[in-house]
Amino acid sequence: MKPILLLLMLFPLLGGLFSALFGRRVSRWTVERVACAGVILSFIMALIAFDSSGGKHQIITFFTWFQVADFSVLMDVRFDPLAAFMALTVTFVSSLIHIYSVGYMKHDEGYVRYFCYLNLFVFSMLVITLADNLVFLFLGWEGVGFCSYGLIGFWYKDMKNASAGRKAFLLTRIGDVAFGIAIGLFFLIFNSLSITYINGHADILTPGTMTLFGLLLLWAAAGKSAQLPLSVWLPDAMAGPTPVSALIHAATMVTAGVYLLMRLFPVFSGSATAMAFIAVAGTLTAFYGACAALMQGDIKRVLAYSTISQLGYMFLAVGAGNITAGMFHLVTHAFFKALLFLAAGCVIHALHEEQNIFRMGKKLRLALPGVYWPFLAGAAALSALPPTAGFFSKDEILISTFLHAGIFYKFLWFIAILTAALTALYTFRLFFIVFTGESLYYEEESEKSVEKPPPNMIATLWPLGVLAIFAGLLNLPAGWGGGGWLSEYFLNIPGAAHHGEIPHSVENGMAIASAVIGIFGIICAWFLYGPKGLLRRPDLPGAWGGLFDLLREAFYLDWLYRRYIAWPFEKMADILWNRVDREGIDRGLYSFANTFMLFSQILREWTSGRLSGYLFMLFMGLTVILCLLAINFSIL
Amino acid sequence: MIPLLLSAIIFLPLFGGLIVLAFSRYPDRCRWISLGITGADLFLVANLLVQFIQNPGAITVDLLWIETFGIRYALALDGISLLLILLTAFLTLLCVLVSWRSITKRVAAFHFFLLLSQTGVIGLFLATDLFLFYLFWELQVIPLFFLIGIWGHSDRVHAAIKFFIFSITGSLLMLIALIGVVMIHKSQTGEVSFSIYALNTTLLTAKTEGWLYAAFLLAFAIKIPLFPVHTWLPDAHTEAPTAGSVILAGLLLKTGMYGLFRIGFPLFPGAAHNSASVLLILGFIGLFYGAWIALAQQDMKRLVAYSSISHMGLMVIGLALWNRYTLSGSILQMINHGLVTSALFILVGMIDERIGSRQMEKAGGLWRKMPLLSGFFLLFAMASVGLPGLNNFVGEILILAGAFKTRPWVGALGFVGIVFTLVYTLRLIQEVLFGEPKTDDPYPDLSLRETAILGAIAIVVIFIGLHPDPLLNLLEGPVGELLGGTKNLLTLQGY
Repeated sequence: MKPILLLLMLFPLLGGLFSALFGRRVSRWTVERVACAGVILSFIMALIAFDSSGGKHQIITFFTWFQVADFSVLMDVRFDPLAAFMALTVTFVSSLIHIYSVGYMKHDEGYVRYFCYLNLFVFSMLVITLADNLVFLFLGWEGVGFCSYGLIGFWYKDMKNASAGRKAFLLTRIGDVAFGIAIGLFFLIFNSLSITYINGHADILTPGTMTLFGLLLLWAAAGKSAQLPLSVWLPDAMAGPTPVSALIHAATMVTAGVYLLMRLFPVFSGSATAMAFIAVAGTLTAFYGACAALMQGDIKRVLAYSTISQLGYMFLAVGAGNITAGMFHLVTHAFFKALLFLAAGCVIHALHEEQNIFRMGKKLRLALPGVYWPFLAGAAALSALPPTAGFFSKDEILISTFLHAGIFYKFLWFIAILTAALTALYTFRLFFIVFTGESLYYEEESEKSVEKPPPNMIATLWPLGVLAIFAGLLNLPAGWGGGGWLSEYFLNIPGAAHHGEIPHSVENGMAIASAVIGIFGIICAWFLYGPKGLLRRPDLPGAWGGLFDLLREAFYLDWLYRRYIAWPFEKMADILWNRVDREGIDRGLYSFANTFMLFSQILREWTSGRLSGYLFMLFMGLTVILCLLAINFSIL
Repeated sequence: MIPLLLSAIIFLPLFGGLIVLAFSRYPDRCRWISLGITGADLFLVANLLVQFIQNPGAITVDLLWIETFGIRYALALDGISLLLILLTAFLTLLCVLVSWRSITKRVAAFHFFLLLSQTGVIGLFLATDLFLFYLFWELQVIPLFFLIGIWGHSDRVHAAIKFFIFSITGSLLMLIALIGVVMIHKSQTGEVSFSIYALNTTLLTAKTEGWLYAAFLLAFAIKIPLFPVHTWLPDAHTEAPTAGSVILAGLLLKTGMYGLFRIGFPLFPGAAHNSASVLLILGFIGLFYGAWIALAQQDMKRLVAYSSISHMGLMVIGLALWNRYTLSGSILQMINHGLVTSALFILVGMIDERIGSRQMEKAGGLWRKMPLLSGFFLLFAMASVGLPGLNNFVGEILILAGAFKTRPWVGALGFVGIVFTLVYTLRLIQEVLFGEPKTDDPYPDLSLRETAILGAIAIVVIFIGLHPDPLLNLLEGPVGELLGGTKNLLTLQGY
């Protein structure tokens, strides 16, 4: 097992190192093949490991990274069903996206840098997935942040892209502060950094400490998973190449936050307060993202807000205490959202880097049937239409929320199901505007031809399309004739215990409710945004302009950050430098000097010149400080 | 054999410097001789390292020097000193290489001063006789004064004088306090001694101890530098030639830290204990204030200088917390910061040589023109923000997570600092590397010599990042001794 897991992590790392060190000396063909091979081999290792682990968990230490007394940081993995499943998902989606990238980046000269970052990203993601030691996990955690930074700002010549990368790095690191504090507290309380040990001894924590850990981990996860209030980086992250958006900002990195919560579930699951906070953060974000997605005009920004919203559902699942449902949705979302992004990439590619949905239309459907159908499958899964994968995974979350004790969770359930309707609405708004009807700018667009994407790009859409529809089989509820395989498989994960029998009435009722709501959303979308839709325009009419702006700008959250945090921060930097440091402290010493220069006139016999005056003054000034310090130290 | 080796390591550079002076007419020979001397010194230190690992335990030299005043030529080597002199020898070698092309006037004198400062710094890290320590302490100031004043940039004289005055003022106070301790010690025992081991048994009243410690602390605080006596550093850095900046950031600032925990704390444990809160506060001010001001900089060198103040603040915090984790972290961080900041200064120097400016607005889009240089720039910038896998992370996590064992809120606040660091570093990367190039001039990417310099640092940076255990093992013993030797400090703090 040890060599398999080691190789599982090493293959992408070696691929990345190869590109970094030799990428410029070998042919493009080699770089592409090595990068793809690194990830595909890793996927094969994940399969073997998954197969041979048999649902049990094991901890394997590779070596000691560093150690000071009992602060011992090991490079080790905890391979349990959760990690196995996550590793499979990550390597599978990454493999497809690497293959897709070969086509997508065919004309880009920065391919060495691109594949290097992409490989290193997969490695870092696998570290998060597998690590048992929290500091080792932190290596992956920061690693994905760095790779994401490099890839969002991949086309760095445009400062806007570089700024988007910077923003992502900064905001996720604001989340990391909480992660760091949590690590420090774990070390203080448990004298250990091992997830297994901490989870195993979580019962020594008081409810108050559990709440604290819950909030810290929520904040950390909110940064990575773009939850409120740290969500603003994700829409801008769409500045990166589209396969990057698919891999990092839909299928994998953004799920790292919620995965962390599942991984450390026992340390906060005993605190109802922490769980409620997580559930509320998730629900609000789900609703927020769906609202914002409804008004975007850029195909990738629609999908970005949709990702924020869907991640909210996963947080809600954790908050409702059902991490199996959360993981289930994480996986199905990885499939269908990667699919939607990759299909969007084909569309963008076909229209020569056009991302405005109002410049698209039925010509795409006619020219690209190979993209149209997978996109439809992805849209159906995102809208949670039965019997797609998204339907089952989202339903499980809704059921858990509904059945959770307390009226409060009923309220969250209500918002969640409302959001489900909005989801169907914005998804099919996107679908109808992109693939049906005419472009709003028909005349000027008509000369532009639709370029067919290379076959290896389109080929990767189909497996994802199949999974988007059928991945629900993984955890088919009993009422549908399934055995809930995933629930069984996750049985031994700390905190994923069975939640008792779900009443059939609730299960059926919920299924019917979600189906009706999803179809209702699609019908609305047809009348509003179909080929002859009332609102098929880039904005809202007249009096609704204010609402349009509000949603389009995602409740002005970004603006608030710039106005009340970024701008004052920069202003303060300027004040500190010019007013405090230069004119205050430094000038203060000089003017002090000038005062003493007068004395030095008198004391000319034994001092002369500016230098000694300055010296004398400094001496006096420092003596004052000295006295203060001395008095301080001797009295205390 | 080993005792002789210690003296050889200290005085070889001084001796080499004198030889270089003799060849002042032949700049190229000066460079080659200096390279040979620094290389030989590094080799000797490496040799020492091997012997030390095979046969661990403190190595000491103790010879009577000036009998009347009980001044001894006393040296001691332990893991901490060893790592620091290894760093010194490594960085001085790089300094010679860095200045190969950029220093063209008075080449011999330049190398003389460079080698002289190496002697000063290495001696300082080994001395256990406080008079000897003081001599080396002063010795390192003089060469740097000339390095800045003669080979610096436009406003060099002003910066050099400012540096000199700050240093001298601190040193004078330290000298007075040092004599004070010796006198008190003499009145108690009737014997004149400058040995740290003798002096730290001196019984002092709380009041006297406070005064004497304050004088020492001030001298060290100026060197570190701590807020508010830091204002000499940005000027000195900005005006110094690249090699001067490397010596400053890589070595000189470390002498302040070193003095604080090697001399200040053991001599005056009671006052040191009382100063813990002050040091924590000043450390935090340095951490945030330095990082914040770095964001407002246009001059790349000045930015890196303020970032130094910020990083040193964190090290002082680790020192003030005074537990096994934070102390190991702080000392390791001295090495890390010496490497990474030096690399950044070297890179800024290389950019300056190419585009003729250190202003960020003149740079931009360099990635496209110099991918190799830019790759190194990104690597060291990431090391500086503490990306795991690179060296700074190890030191930082030890300080920050270790802080929770004594004062959790310090750890929590310290983690906030990592965001501040990221803000200015990402701005630096973006302004310099990204965007459209500002001019059409073709800039040559790194030469072989430059690649070798940066590559050597990069290897060490990655090595420490992935496998810091050998270094931490070297620190383990001395850190334990520091903690044990100042036992009353510990008991006072109730750990």
